[in-house]
Amino acid sequence: MILELCEEAQDFGRSALGAIEAAGGDRLVQAAEADPAQRQAAIEPVLAGLGAWQLEPRRNLEEMEAAAALCRSAGHWALPYPVAARLCRPAAGDFDGLLVVSDVEPAAPVAGLGLRWAAAGLDGQGYAATARPAPAAPRRSAFVTRLDLQPAARVDTADLALALTLPCWTLLGMLDRAMALTCAYVLERQQFGQPLASFQGVQFQLTDAEVERVGVEELAKYALWSIESGRPDAVDDALALRAAAVEAAEIVFRVAHQLHGAIGFCDETTISWMSRYSAPLRRLPLGLTATRTELTRRLGRQGLAGLFSSPSSTSQ
Amino acid sequence: MDFDMGDGVAGLRTRLRELIRTEVPEDYLGAFTDDPADLEAAQRFCRLLAEQGLLCMAWPEEWGGRGASPWEQTAVREEMWAHHEPRGAQYMGVNWVGPTIMRHGTPEQQRQHLPAIARGEVIWCQGFSEPNAGSDLASLQTAARRDGDGWRVSGQKIWTSYATMAQWCFLLCRTSSEAKKQRGLSIFLVPMTAPGIEVRPIRAMMGPHHLNEVFLDDVWVTEADALGPIGEGWTVVQEVLSFERVGIARYARCERLLQWAPVALGDQWEALPEELRGSWARMLVRARRARLLAYRVVDMQNRGRVHPGDAAAYRIAVTRLDQESAEVLMEIVGGADTSGEDASRFRRAVEDHWRYSVSATVASGSIEMQRILMSRSLLAAR
Ligand SMILES: Cc1cc2nc3c(=O)[nH]c(=O)nc-3n(C[C@H](O)[C@H](O)[C@H](O)COP(=O)(O)OP(=O)(O)OC[C@H]3O[C@@H](n4cnc5c(N)ncnc54)[C@H](O)[C@@H]3O)c2cc1C
Repeated sequence: MILELCEEAQDFGRSALGAIEAAGGDRLVQAAEADPAQRQAAIEPVLAGLGAWQLEPRRNLEEMEAAAALCRSAGHWALPYPVAARLCRPAAGDFDGLLVVSDVEPAAPVAGLGLRWAAAGLDGQGYAATARPAPAAPRRSAFVTRLDLQPAARVDTADLALALTLPCWTLLGMLDRAMALTCAYVLERQQFGQPLASFQGVQFQLTDAEVERVGVEELAKYALWSIESGRPDAVDDALALRAAAVEAAEIVFRVAHQLHGAIGFCDETTISWMSRYSAPLRRLPLGLTATRTELTRRLGRQGLAGLFSSPSSTSQ
Repeated sequence: MDFDMGDGVAGLRTRLRELIRTEVPEDYLGAFTDDPADLEAAQRFCRLLAEQGLLCMAWPEEWGGRGASPWEQTAVREEMWAHHEPRGAQYMGVNWVGPTIMRHGTPEQQRQHLPAIARGEVIWCQGFSEPNAGSDLASLQTAARRDGDGWRVSGQKIWTSYATMAQWCFLLCRTSSEAKKQRGLSIFLVPMTAPGIEVRPIRAMMGPHHLNEVFLDDVWVTEADALGPIGEGWTVVQEVLSFERVGIARYARCERLLQWAPVALGDQWEALPEELRGSWARMLVRARRARLLAYRVVDMQNRGRVHPGDAAAYRIAVTRLDQESAEVLMEIVGGADTSGEDASRFRRAVEDHWRYSVSATVASGSIEMQRILMSRSLLAAR
């Protein structure tokens, strides 16, 4: 049992955190919102400098773990760029990235990037996708735009699972940050002559959110391992992760907002940016209920791989 | 990363399941029922495990174990709890009474107690809680008064699991009344047959022979019965609680019952409301989550850097899972015809799980205590 990402991946994640910070950190998303056209030029060199485009997650374990660590670091800064989708680009075809899409209103936060996208439905159907122009300014759209799809070859299970899993690592990075910001805030903000952190009602909200966050972390590692080790139910594991991650995000952001009070809605706080820019990751390709419905459908009566998933092992 | 426990652990699991299948009655739902055969089944099973070297696998060789790996120990915990703990009350002796005596006991205490636990012959109970000392355990009042070369212990314990069937009590009491209430507490290893001990069962949802009151009236103990230095009981209790951190693999029973549901319901499964099957899927994810959080704590323990906050996160996740999964499972059996043989066994197992789960967030320290621990480390790390 090895329950942590390998050292190299962890180091890579830390370098990425530092490199994105040096390139502007929290200001990157603000700048991208103010001037969407410059985001690509601002962000792609940072990722290139880290060697992100040389990473091939499907080549070996270390690279897949490094890709996950990079996604998490991108989430920490709410980096306004589809890092996860780009890291999933399929080996075949001439694409810059892979997006998982739903069959109604396929969309993704890729407006204005001019990249060549492959897409996959949850049934594994492959597509070539073209992003339409952004329907609204990023302040409202968070860079989400409709995709036009042309059917293409099927996408293999591991690619689909990876394209579901890596965005959850980005979301995990956002949850890490939301918790860190909220803990710092309740320690600093005083009411009734004491820090908010001294109230049990505040403490318990934090712990409930933190249990969600650490749970996502473990499920995210498991889903990655499931792909790495070529398990046939890797897509189930990815959907299980996604269902938990989206539910966790709801709780973590609700608590984060609640404990920030009114200031948390304002542009001057980082949490408001985190919260807004987490929305596409939570809604697309499927929101919580739809993700769970899809997972339930796939699990059928087989259940989820675990201690008792072979049919003979349950009744005694 | 590698989430595979390896062939050794898989082999152990197979062996344990085979033993349970052949040696534990099919309808066994725990040792604490009104039917004495259930307790007898558990006692027999413990002796059998002991004979096969499986009861105290985790212990060092010196005491009859074989230093099993932490993952083997994890598999034992999972298989036992998943199958309604066929060791009955004896899991406590194995998990924490024995290991605590190894660390703090005198050579005489070790010779007296460890082989008996390792042979699967002795039931222990934990005399900590009192009517006025629950979450605030350190405020306990049961007092040991000096009398010649020993002490006379008087007071009352409550919620003492298995006290009617136990031969020994791991008793926490006050040996001096110092200003700081955590000081002046001591532990004595006391035979339940000692004059002055009276046990009264408390009938409760978890089964008629689970919870008890223990009254102590001038019970005589000596230096030889004290575990660890007099006045240092609180430190030992903290160790006991750390052994209990991953003590019960509640998620394993949840996982087994959830996976059993479609099998037990057969054709009726697809007729359940889609929303209910969605809740079932959610519970399977939650069970996996709790299991992975348990593994995280085990892994940290192996590397000697477990923080109370990490263990608390697991405890919160697993006790909630216990209750939420029980509600979903009750809905599942409620919505189906369970008159068939497998379905009715499933229903009884689910009902038992539900009755037990209600206490999950209170037993071994309430979930609020875990949240307090967790928020402390969450906020201190900043
Ligand atoms: C099935 C079962 C088996 C048990 N077995 C044993 C045993 O073998 N030996 C033994 O010694 N004890 C045993 N116990 C007792 C157990 O340890 C206590 O029940 C537990 O520590 C809580 O104490 P209490 O019940 O007195 O609740 P209280 O301390 O009275 O608390 C009641 C509730 O108040 C809340 N609360 C309390 N303090 C705080 C606080 N500071 N902040 C916020 N909320 C708070 C919590 O929700 C708590 O559940 C067992 C209990 C159960 C249910």
